Amino acid sequence: MSEMSNTFPHQKPVNIGFGILIVLLYVFLMAPLVMIIGASFTNGLMIEFPPQGISLRWYFEFFDRQDLVDGLLMSLRIGAVTAVVTMTVAMMAAMAGQVISGRLSGWYQLGMTLPLLVPELLTAVGLLFFLYKIQMAKTVMGLQMGHILMSFPYAYVSIAAAMRQVPDALEEASQSLGATGWQTFRLVILPLVMPGLAMGGIFAFINSFDLYTISLLLKPLGGNTLPLALFDFLTYEFKPTAAAAATLSILLSILGVALVQKLVGLQRAF
Amino acid sequence: MATVEVRDLRKRYQDFLALDGVSLKAESGQLVTLLGPSGCGKSTTLRCLAGFLEANGGEITVDGESILGTPANRRGFGVVFQNYALFPHMTVAENIGYGLKIQKLPKPEITTRVHDAMKLVRLDGLGDRLPRAISGGQQQRVALARALVLKPKLLLLDEPLANLDARLRDEVRWLIRDLQQQSGITAFYVTHDQSEAMAMSDMVAVMKAGRVAQFATPREIYQKPVERYVADFTGEANFIPCQSVTPHGEGRYTISAAGVTLELAGVPGITGPAELLLRPEALSLTTPEAGTFRGTVTKSAFLGAALHCEITLNDGSVLKLAAEPNHHVVAGKEVGIAIDHTHAWLMPEVTP
Repeated sequence: MSEMSNTFPHQKPVNIGFGILIVLLYVFLMAPLVMIIGASFTNGLMIEFPPQGISLRWYFEFFDRQDLVDGLLMSLRIGAVTAVVTMTVAMMAAMAGQVISGRLSGWYQLGMTLPLLVPELLTAVGLLFFLYKIQMAKTVMGLQMGHILMSFPYAYVSIAAAMRQVPDALEEASQSLGATGWQTFRLVILPLVMPGLAMGGIFAFINSFDLYTISLLLKPLGGNTLPLALFDFLTYEFKPTAAAAATLSILLSILGVALVQKLVGLQRAF
Repeated sequence: MATVEVRDLRKRYQDFLALDGVSLKAESGQLVTLLGPSGCGKSTTLRCLAGFLEANGGEITVDGESILGTPANRRGFGVVFQNYALFPHMTVAENIGYGLKIQKLPKPEITTRVHDAMKLVRLDGLGDRLPRAISGGQQQRVALARALVLKPKLLLLDEPLANLDARLRDEVRWLIRDLQQQSGITAFYVTHDQSEAMAMSDMVAVMKAGRVAQFATPREIYQKPVERYVADFTGEANFIPCQSVTPHGEGRYTISAAGVTLELAGVPGITGPAELLLRPEALSLTTPEAGTFRGTVTKSAFLGAALHCEITLNDGSVLKLAAEPNHHVVAGKEVGIAIDHTHAWLMPEVTP
């Protein structure tokens, strides 16, 4: 959290009332996480906070459950592909967005973020019909497409914001120094938007890892993503295994953010 | 090193004619300034030269060959931008070596040439800094070195001094001019600052609404402008409308203005109404009897090096002039004004 307060180094110290508000906000945001993480280490048989004793038994339990581990692997695989594909496509979309000007630009931005604005359930149903039409319903590929569609806006917003920070004159300067379009992209544009790009990829991954509704409708026969597997599990057994799975997901998100920090620095990513 | 000719260049945006037939010529090694207010088309002309914009008509030739079909990255022109456009993620040395790296030159050669270029613009020892860690003047010199290190055929400068403070501006201005003359590179220079244009250029093109109003040497632009717009843009100027104009011979006229008959030079071929241009330095104060014009002092201000006066003539026109600072001038006094005839100039009245 000390990382966050450094995000705005130029800001003056705020007054106490505002400080309390910020603290309350963080408590509100962090409390569920702290509780679920705490509960995962319990030695008891129920999800409860504070935990009863400390043990790692529910983590072993989690990795012993084939259905949950399969879900985790499926989610990781789909998330990784989603991140890579989304970064590539969103990068191209953001570059196209740069050259569209005037009133058209607003509509373009709106179009690119449409999957955020349409209720997920409607998108899922529509996509399911579409996938049946093209004989791809209930396949991993179909699910993958759904995840890419839903995660695209996050990556796009992050990358487009980074692109807007790159002045056009840099491209022109590069051109005038003899660089081709591809060289300009590789040597000038890409390094400058890298923080936004990495952030976009991680947003896309985390979002994909978290998707429920669309996975429920599009999931392949016999396959489950982790959220689906967890929900199935919780329907029958209310055991701390679920808390352990949740803690692993949180850990994964933190790893992602740490990775961005390591690669490009959080200050530059936002 | 290269002769550049622009002929009848046209550029249209949806409903705006940015360039309406611009014609210019830069002889080899000349520095040509495009001078004018914002929106006159000077930057557009430069961007067409650089290849960032595609013209809708006209021709640009370098050493007689058209370059309109050549993309910007193969024109081999150096461009210096108003806000420098340095690559923020590269060090000073990497910025300067960028073009050489693109050309895939061997590393040792790049190092040597970057080093030489940095010396040329007096940036020794700053090679490892990032652009944001050096001053504006230094950034500008990096931009200059980055363009010059490639030995371009043509150097294009878009208001390179606009973001610098007055003292630095002077310094960098002379640096640019020196480097340009040493290397003999033909250059185009865009500015809205007339003193910059006067001091640096071999030729000046004063631009007005997408056209070249006058293309001549700085001296001619200042002393023999073709219309009021040019005279106004290049310095302090007084204008007196003429009651009658009688031409005799090429560019010689007898006129009457403010009740006085004068014989003087002017723009050749004036037939309609005309006005007289008198720069403040062509005028001097004298006694009412000895002067060409007679008038009353309406304002005077002591500025240290000179005394600025405004004198109203009997036909109502106002003349501004700079008098010797210790001259005794008070408002309301009747004075005479002597004219240096070699600095008086007749221009046709053109609707702006």
